[in-house]
Amino acid sequence: MPIDPVVYEYIASEVECPANEVIIEEGSKGDWVYVVLEGHVKVKKRTPKGLIVIDTLSEGDIFGEIAFLEGEDADRSATVMAAEGSVRLGILDKELLIKHYSAMSPTLRAIIKSLAIKVRETTKRICTALVAAK
Amino acid sequence: MTDDKQTIPTTYRLRYKKGDQILKQNDFGISIYKILSGKVLIFRECEDVEVPIAILGKGSIIGEMIFFLKATEVRSASAKALEDSELEATHPTELLKEYEMSAPILKLMARQALNRLTRVNRFLDRLIVNEQEKPENSRSGLSIWKTNRRFYRKKVNLTCKYTSKTRLTGFNATLEGTIKDISMTGLGLEIDPRNESAIPHEIGEVFQVETILPNAKELKLVCTLVRSSKGRGYISLGMMYLELSDDAKRILGFFLLPA
Repeated sequence: MPIDPVVYEYIASEVECPANEVIIEEGSKGDWVYVVLEGHVKVKKRTPKGLIVIDTLSEGDIFGEIAFLEGEDADRSATVMAAEGSVRLGILDKELLIKHYSAMSPTLRAIIKSLAIKVRETTKRICTALVAAK
Repeated sequence: MTDDKQTIPTTYRLRYKKGDQILKQNDFGISIYKILSGKVLIFRECEDVEVPIAILGKGSIIGEMIFFLKATEVRSASAKALEDSELEATHPTELLKEYEMSAPILKLMARQALNRLTRVNRFLDRLIVNEQEKPENSRSGLSIWKTNRRFYRKKVNLTCKYTSKTRLTGFNATLEGTIKDISMTGLGLEIDPRNESAIPHEIGEVFQVETILPNAKELKLVCTLVRSSKGRGYISLGMMYLELSDDAKRILGFFLLPA
C-alpha cells in the first residue's frame, strides 16, 4: 500500500529498526503511532503456546493506533517487531494527533474508540481460536 | 457537560430484557447504540456457532462499524442483552457530517482499524468453521450424509507448490510439499525441514498452495498456518483456508464427494 500523502505532514521523526527488534510490546503502556516507511513489521500476540503472527504490515500501514484511539492509558494490544531486513518507521506527531482527536465531539470519539476496542477484543478471540486449532 | 461541538442527533431510548437480541449479524441497519445501563454481549455467528467477542457495559458503543462503512454493508456482529439494559439509539447523519470534516489523519487511522477489524473477523470465522470440522470428523462415515458433506476430509498424497503470501517481498521462493489430507476448510501438509530456512513458517503466516488433483483439476488455495509439528525428517503443517474462490469450492467439493 503506498504511503498516504496525509501521513507525511504528521511524521515527527524517523527511526531505523534492525530485524527482529521489538518496536511495541504487548501489555506495555504507550500511545505513539507509527507508519511503516520501508520494510515490513510483524504484529504478534502472546498465547499460551507462544507468539502468534496476527498480521504483517508493510509500507504505508499505520500501527500503534489502537492504544492511541482507545486512550485512557490503554495497554498495547499486540507486539510489533521489525521483520527480516531493516525497517524504516515514521513516528507521528502525538501532540498534533491528540489535538485533532480532542477536537472531535465526545460521541464521535466514543465511536472511534469503540472500533479500536473491537479490534483488540476480536484479535484476542482469534488467539484463543488459533491455540485451540493447533 | 456542555460541548459546543457536540451535535444533537436524532436519538431514542430503547429497553431490552435479559436475553433480547439487539443487533443481528447480516441485517441492514444504520443506527449506533450507546449502552446507558446493563450489559451487552457482542458475538459473531459462524456456522450456527455463537462466538463471544466482548461484553460491554455502560458508556460503550455498539453497531459502530456500519458508521464507517457508510451503511453500505450489513451488520458484522450480533448483540444481545445479558441483563436488562437500556440503550440509546442514534441516527448517524449528523455524526457522519462531522466525521467527514474531521482531520484526514484520524480518518485514515479509523479506516485502517476498520480494515484490520474486517480482516480479523474473516479470520475468526474461518478458524471457527475449521474447529467445527473436528467433532464431525471423529464420527462414523455415515454421518457425512446426515450432516454436511463440507466436513469430509480426504486422505491424499499430492505434490504441491507453495509460496509465502504475507506480503514479505524478500521471500518469493516457491517451495514444494506433499498434501496428506484435504477438506473444504483446510489441509495437512508435509514439508522438508529445510523449507523453513527459505521462508518463515510461523503460526498465523499466510501461504498460497497450488496443486493438481488426481482428476487433473488445478487448485489454488490461500491458507494460514495453524499448526506445525516436527516428525522424523519432515515437518507436518496444518493449514486453514482464508478464502475459497467459487471455482476452488466447486473443484474441491466435487473431489471430496465420497466415492
